[in-house]
Amino acid sequence: MADEKTGAPVSGTILVVGGGISGITTALEAAEVGYEVFIVEKNPYLGGRVAQLNKYFPKLCPPTCGLEINFQRIKNNKNIKWFTLTEVEKISGGAGNYDVTLKTNPRYVNNNCTCCGKCAEVCDVEIPNEFNFGMDRRKAAYLPHEMAFPQRYVLDQSIIGKPTAQKCKDSCAYNAIDLDDKARTFDIKAASIVWATGWNPYDAKKMDNLSFGKVQNVITNMMMERLAAVNGPTKGKIVRPSDGKQVNNIAFVQCAGSRDDNHLPFCSYICCLASLKQTTYIREANPKSKATIFYIDLRTPGRYEKFYKKVKADTNVSFVKGKVAKIEEDTETKDVIVTVEDTLSGKKIHERFDMVVLATGMEPSTATSKVPGNAKYDENNFVISDEILSTGCVKKPSDVMSSGQTATGTALKAIQTLVRR
Amino acid sequence: MAEAKLIKPDLEFVKKVMDSGGESLKKCYQCATCSVVCNVTPEDKPFPRKEMIQAQWGLKDKLFSNPDIWLCHQCSDCTAYCPRGAKPGEVLGAIRKLSIEHYAFPGFMGKLVGDPKYLWVLFAVPVIIFLTVLGYLGHIKIPDGEIIYAEKFIPVLAIDTIFIAAALFAVLGFLGGVVRYWKDLSSGVAMSSNPWQKKVKGPIPIIILNTIIDFMTHQRFKKCEVTKDRSNSHMFVFFGFVGLAITTTWAIAYLYGFEFFNIQKAIQLSGGSFLLNFGESPYPLYDPMKILGNVSAVILLAGILQVITNRKKNAEKAGNGSYFDWLFISIIFTIVTTGILSEVLRLAHIPVLAYPVYFIHLVVVFFLFAYAPFSKMAHMVYRTTALVFAKYSGREDKKF
Repeated sequence: MADEKTGAPVSGTILVVGGGISGITTALEAAEVGYEVFIVEKNPYLGGRVAQLNKYFPKLCPPTCGLEINFQRIKNNKNIKWFTLTEVEKISGGAGNYDVTLKTNPRYVNNNCTCCGKCAEVCDVEIPNEFNFGMDRRKAAYLPHEMAFPQRYVLDQSIIGKPTAQKCKDSCAYNAIDLDDKARTFDIKAASIVWATGWNPYDAKKMDNLSFGKVQNVITNMMMERLAAVNGPTKGKIVRPSDGKQVNNIAFVQCAGSRDDNHLPFCSYICCLASLKQTTYIREANPKSKATIFYIDLRTPGRYEKFYKKVKADTNVSFVKGKVAKIEEDTETKDVIVTVEDTLSGKKIHERFDMVVLATGMEPSTATSKVPGNAKYDENNFVISDEILSTGCVKKPSDVMSSGQTATGTALKAIQTLVRR
Repeated sequence: MAEAKLIKPDLEFVKKVMDSGGESLKKCYQCATCSVVCNVTPEDKPFPRKEMIQAQWGLKDKLFSNPDIWLCHQCSDCTAYCPRGAKPGEVLGAIRKLSIEHYAFPGFMGKLVGDPKYLWVLFAVPVIIFLTVLGYLGHIKIPDGEIIYAEKFIPVLAIDTIFIAAALFAVLGFLGGVVRYWKDLSSGVAMSSNPWQKKVKGPIPIIILNTIIDFMTHQRFKKCEVTKDRSNSHMFVFFGFVGLAITTTWAIAYLYGFEFFNIQKAIQLSGGSFLLNFGESPYPLYDPMKILGNVSAVILLAGILQVITNRKKNAEKAGNGSYFDWLFISIIFTIVTTGILSEVLRLAHIPVLAYPVYFIHLVVVFFLFAYAPFSKMAHMVYRTTALVFAKYSGREDKKF
């Protein structure tokens, strides 16, 4: 086949950048109807943000379940090739005929790895655990998380060249550690590119009045997911960071940085549901616990209204209409004091909580790292181009369910790019 | 459930708020960030969130019959943190302007001062008055010899007549406005179901004294965060004015006390020169009254320059200010610069410039005096009234 306009040879490959739930879905939908797909993921594992969740919508099942089905589909499909620890460096050419430069960073562990964990055992260097948002530390030889796909360890760059790395290598009985592993750059051809690099939690430190980073027991909603997860830093116990005390009284601060001209001007779509969901974490774990959601408007689109009604029926969950705009710490008890105007009663209230969760919003990953090619963005850095396609949360804030739906639609668009030539 | 209440939205009022510097009003989505970050609001029924929705709905009477709009010092903490760019600080400023206009007595003066269209009328009045006087005296030319404003340009008698008339006009305007305002505030209490509006009825003299202490020390103003430099600049302007007011009274004593108390005789009897220079102007620079006047003028100039630079500096966070604000600032700025220049040019003996500058000075001083009840100057009276009422009705968290 050749391009009618340029005469250049084209391969029929679809390149999906980002191996989260959206990227995986687009890749699988296209691969399962016979197209060749490459997935490129910068983390050492696939699964993206969903892998970090404790439970996800719509059925509140643990994400390992849904992800595992998808990983099986990937494994069993010879049309899909995937690269972890890999980023796109450069894109040239146009739709139907892209030249893409990829860069794979070294993992220092090859596929002999059996996840026996010996290297981690002997490793004496600890680094902050990014997977848990720095709430705990992990060995510098680590499995990113228990259900990581691929099931393969990683050596952190920081120990390479140090005696610890050699110790790890020596402990490995399977000759799986390769300390000479180097970053490598390679080129591929793609006919269609789908950008699915997802989102980052908006940096909560930017809201100075919400005191994240200053008041110890203020965490973000994504941190709450890790705190509630059995494979999280506390093995699923919801306790406060300052003293490990069980949380009996928790507050959720909605629109922490979303719908705010000074931060993210748009609604992040998921935070209301995320907070409603997280009240169930603490209510199920601790029957005496109380939760309060402070909101401007509760947004529970579509059938999620049902979920809201369910949570509302729990008398230990209260709702206060008013945005929290001041958070302080009781220095003695480390309790958190939030100030808000209850707009229904018209009273400024100062309420004390064990812990406060900021429902921080979704910032598209392209706010900090742009597509290294010809892409269009909206005013909030979401990718909206028709040529380099986009899907999932890098296109617009979405929950897992609608990410799945739009990703399927994007697979069709990618296929159309191939066929239309 | 509360009883159903029929509200009467005044759409014209909504438009007026938006035209008077509150054009961002409709952006408010009632999240109440503003009420939380405000350091000067009471805890119960805090402002400015409720004012924002009252203004959006055109509930003029609710806004005017409530002291809250004047408890606001436009720190702009609310504006800086507002997630919608609705600028509550600017909106409340616009509502205050409309309140001044609403209570204006006579009513047409409110419109004249509030609308840039009529600015020329406001200037034409003093210009015509002073030109008429000068024409009558045959003084429409630059006089020769040593510069003496009173003798060679506009005599004391003319100045006094014109300014006493202007001051009387202002005092009547203020009286008419404040009496109606107090009545509305009281009826606001009667209408309201707010527990705080129950009339504590503290001893009025103590309340007034506390209010004066409040604004002498700028206690409330100092609680501002985003624009904390504003309380300083306002303090300068405020005390500059206080100094000049004392100077003016002092000058009157010089001028009339001279004959009235037979002071000249007293001086003659004491046999020698006296530190105080009773008699007609100009007075020597070492005279204590002159020193006070000059120092006050410099303080006022320093203050108004700070006001202008702060406004520019804070514009991004706090907003640009409205016509009403800038008119007031410009008038004070012109008064103080022409005042200082009149003196400097007189001492430097440059009559070609001195007399015209002095003429402008007279025009803007007239502007400030005569239009005080209708310009932003009125804030001093309405805010004081509101503060007194707030203490009187228990609106403030602390008693009295």
